[in-house]
Amino acid sequence: MIVSWKWLQRYLRLEMSPEELAQRLSLAGLNHEESQSVGADLAIDLEVTSNRGDCLGHIGVAREIAVLYDLPLSVPDPQPAAVGPAIGQSIGLEHHFSAACARYTARLIRDVQIGPSPDWLIESLQSVFWKKRRDGSLESYQPINNVVDITNYVLMESGQPLHAFDFGKLRGKQIIVRPAGDGELLEAIDHRTYVLDSSVCVIADQLQPIAIAGVMGGRSTEVDAQTRDVLIEAAIFSPLSVRRTARKLKLHSPSSYRFERRVDPAGVDWASRRCCELILQCAGGKLAADCLDSSPEVPGQPAVTLRWSQLPRVLGIQIDQAAVQQILTGLGCQQQSSDATAVAWIPPSWRHDLTREVDLVEEVARIYGYDKIPEDVSIPVAASEKRRFDVAAEQLRHVLTAAGISEAMTPSVVIERLDAMVSPWTERPALQTQIPMLEGARHLRRSLLPSLIQSRAANWAASNTEADLFELAHIYLPGEKPGMLPSEQYCVAFVMGSDFYVAKGVVEAILRRLGIAQHPVVVPEKISGLHTELAAQLRLGDRVIGVVGQLDDQIRMQLKLPAVVVLAELDLAVLLEHSSLVPQFRPVSAYPSIQRDLNFIVQESVRWADLQNSVRSAVGSELVAVRYRETYRDPSKDGENHKRILLSVDLQRNDATLTGDEADLMIARIVQQCERQLGASLLDAVQGK
Amino acid sequence: MSLSDFLDSLQKLQRDAQEVFATVTSQESLEAARVRFLGAKNGALKEIQKQLGRIAAEDKPQAGQRLNEIKRSLADAFQQAATLLEEPSVADGKAVAAPTLPGTPLKLGHIHPVTQTIEHLKEIMGRMGFATAEGPEVEDPWHNFVALNIPEDHPARDPLDNFYLATAKGSVGEEGSQLLRSQTSTVQIRVMEVRRPPIRIVSLGRVYRPDDPDATHFPMFHQMEGLLIDRQVTMAHLKTVLRVFATNYLGKDVSIRFRPSFFPFTEPSVEVDFWWNDQWIEFGGAGMVDPAVLTAVGYDPEQVSGFAFGLGVERLCMRRHNITDIRDLYSGDMRFLSQF
Repeated sequence: MIVSWKWLQRYLRLEMSPEELAQRLSLAGLNHEESQSVGADLAIDLEVTSNRGDCLGHIGVAREIAVLYDLPLSVPDPQPAAVGPAIGQSIGLEHHFSAACARYTARLIRDVQIGPSPDWLIESLQSVFWKKRRDGSLESYQPINNVVDITNYVLMESGQPLHAFDFGKLRGKQIIVRPAGDGELLEAIDHRTYVLDSSVCVIADQLQPIAIAGVMGGRSTEVDAQTRDVLIEAAIFSPLSVRRTARKLKLHSPSSYRFERRVDPAGVDWASRRCCELILQCAGGKLAADCLDSSPEVPGQPAVTLRWSQLPRVLGIQIDQAAVQQILTGLGCQQQSSDATAVAWIPPSWRHDLTREVDLVEEVARIYGYDKIPEDVSIPVAASEKRRFDVAAEQLRHVLTAAGISEAMTPSVVIERLDAMVSPWTERPALQTQIPMLEGARHLRRSLLPSLIQSRAANWAASNTEADLFELAHIYLPGEKPGMLPSEQYCVAFVMGSDFYVAKGVVEAILRRLGIAQHPVVVPEKISGLHTELAAQLRLGDRVIGVVGQLDDQIRMQLKLPAVVVLAELDLAVLLEHSSLVPQFRPVSAYPSIQRDLNFIVQESVRWADLQNSVRSAVGSELVAVRYRETYRDPSKDGENHKRILLSVDLQRNDATLTGDEADLMIARIVQQCERQLGASLLDAVQGK
Repeated sequence: MSLSDFLDSLQKLQRDAQEVFATVTSQESLEAARVRFLGAKNGALKEIQKQLGRIAAEDKPQAGQRLNEIKRSLADAFQQAATLLEEPSVADGKAVAAPTLPGTPLKLGHIHPVTQTIEHLKEIMGRMGFATAEGPEVEDPWHNFVALNIPEDHPARDPLDNFYLATAKGSVGEEGSQLLRSQTSTVQIRVMEVRRPPIRIVSLGRVYRPDDPDATHFPMFHQMEGLLIDRQVTMAHLKTVLRVFATNYLGKDVSIRFRPSFFPFTEPSVEVDFWWNDQWIEFGGAGMVDPAVLTAVGYDPEQVSGFAFGLGVERLCMRRHNITDIRDLYSGDMRFLSQF
């Protein structure tokens, strides 16, 4: 809302400087954006919050200033003299859309002299209606004619939009407020034709729509140099209806802006009279008696009780009762009744936002000044525990950055091609947004991997060939039934160069750092988007922790990534379930350990994990470690489809030195177990160290 | 000798030899290294080769294969060292210590600056007793609007100002529809629905609004929302907490000011500014939790009261690290990420 320094002085004397005023208003709720010299005047741009439609006119702003500086306010009391026959003899009013229009009024002035506006009027409008060009110069308001300029003046004076119709161009003897017909057309005064539908409220004559209610007038009834009689509309259109219409038609006007923020129900008639008074003054003419008015009764505002105890309860300070009364009275509230503990106040008609006690508390506080509230009161201490999640996330970041992987943050909504690339968690189609977020992206991601792969490709294209990236964020798994909120799963994912075993090593380091004692079950699986052999699902018990794998070559080539890409994605919730974040010390055995090597010949289909499990299950707590050494194939000796796996075991006791005989016994059990479970045969005799 | 030991000694030999070959600085030391590792009579490799005879017959092919690999690798290392010595810069014969040469780079990953900011904020608020809470990013209208006192005809619910999901059920903004949350205030509601006062939380997370991306706007960003509910909480407590927060975050005593504002879920509502480097800097929005919100979650506004505040994480992050374009934060570009 731009207010003119000169214009404001029609309602009160401003003895402070414009800078001081702007500062004071900012601290009372009208945030000062900037000030601009316009000729000899100063235009002050104030940001008006959406609840304060009453400040979208000069009188509203002047009222705030009057309260803040305790100044007398003088508001005109327009009493235009009616001389003509009653308006009802010339035209009637039909109202068929009360949901969109709470009140419709019209006055008629005949025999006006359309002509240029007086200088004071033009200057006033030029102070507030201007646009800044790119070069900083101002594009100023072009006066139209006295009648239209006056409607604009009263709009900026009171915040109540008005419209003047050329009465002579109306067809029939009725003004009709109604929903538009579907597909009905209207050419507006901006010379564009709008296609309407039944959600749009129009003002119509008996032939056609003549205005889009609350948004813009129609061209067919525009006031021009030939106009003799004018019909002045002042109405209340509902915020929702006006907003929907303005949005649908992409047509926003100073009128729609104000109706969306609510106008003063009692101020409608004032604005109509004020407009007529100024027209009679500037353009002559004869005002018809009476007024068409769909709802002349303006319902009163219910009283709001303010208990004295509530001011300190909410604000933390005591405010003198006389000061409170002065503030609320100055804002237009009327005291209805009072007792020792409370006062009942009737808010003014223009303050639709004052309906509850706490609304009055806020009014008192903002005028009294928030600077009076202390910023050094004591606050009781309270415990705040760090969540396990945060502890785990910190550990994850430690491991990943130590592995040389950097954290990225990528958008949660991705394009379809990325969504389809890798989806290790669900087959259900991704949820989509109605409007795209970025470059057509509508899919709520089901995995973090595609975004990271894409980032790696973008980095590669920009010659950053070492983009090893991780991200810790939600993925969105569609619910089982439509309408359910999706299951949001915190995941950590990474992509890097290097090979599968390095990626797996990073995953294993994460598990160890999170204190997950259990070894994950590695299930080699075909995962769409990943290499057919180098891809595995990791499980703990019956829960899937995640996947680790190598990116499919074809996808990699499509993304112009020449070198191998490996990746992993883990479910943080499952990791947390199994983690033990406070490491527990285990005594270090004081007795020596014995290392033995075992070279097994097994079928090609036997996996390391199987062999390791058999070894582990054969020996108890004395088995300290099982280490993989290498795999060797010699079909000429061992036969086709066979391989040798060399492994070492460490054996140790906590309570005594393990003897060679004990070790031999354990090794025998291991060999037996592996033979029985996996058909493994030991290559040669057990060799001691 | 076991196969495993044989392989271990080979590996150790390779490691030692490579280290020595890589650091020879003269023909003499190169020759000494050659004799030590590759010498035909008593070279280290020869010594290990002699052990091959003691390996079990079945293991021999495997051991032999490995031995040959190591032999090739040592020969390569020797060649490489010899080539390097012939280059004039190193060929003047003297071992030159050069402590000003750069150290061997350590490849360390970087933590995203937004994460760093979030951790900083959580840490400061944690010291004031605010625990971290979280809620879902995909929300229903009840948590994103209704319980936050945002009525049905409020512009904030507009389908063009929110990322509603294309679900079969529920028309936009109404029961049954879903949207990406437009503010972290939703977490207030989720926490209050399941807990009784006193409550002291901060929630941090992603929020979404359909803004066209430019240097200061992105359709996805992060907010921090603080909430304190108890008996006898006043605006003085709000002002105190925010001042202490600002002092902690900015590192010296700062004053703050409130400017009246409007948010549906707080009353009174204020904008908060910090006085920093001789100017007022906008911090975020705050206010006393609206009684309608307290009622919506089943609290009695006559018994308890509280305050809430919210701020944009990116703005704090960008100011702190002198980042000028918000889009850089979400680019995934290593040239950006590696600076933090």
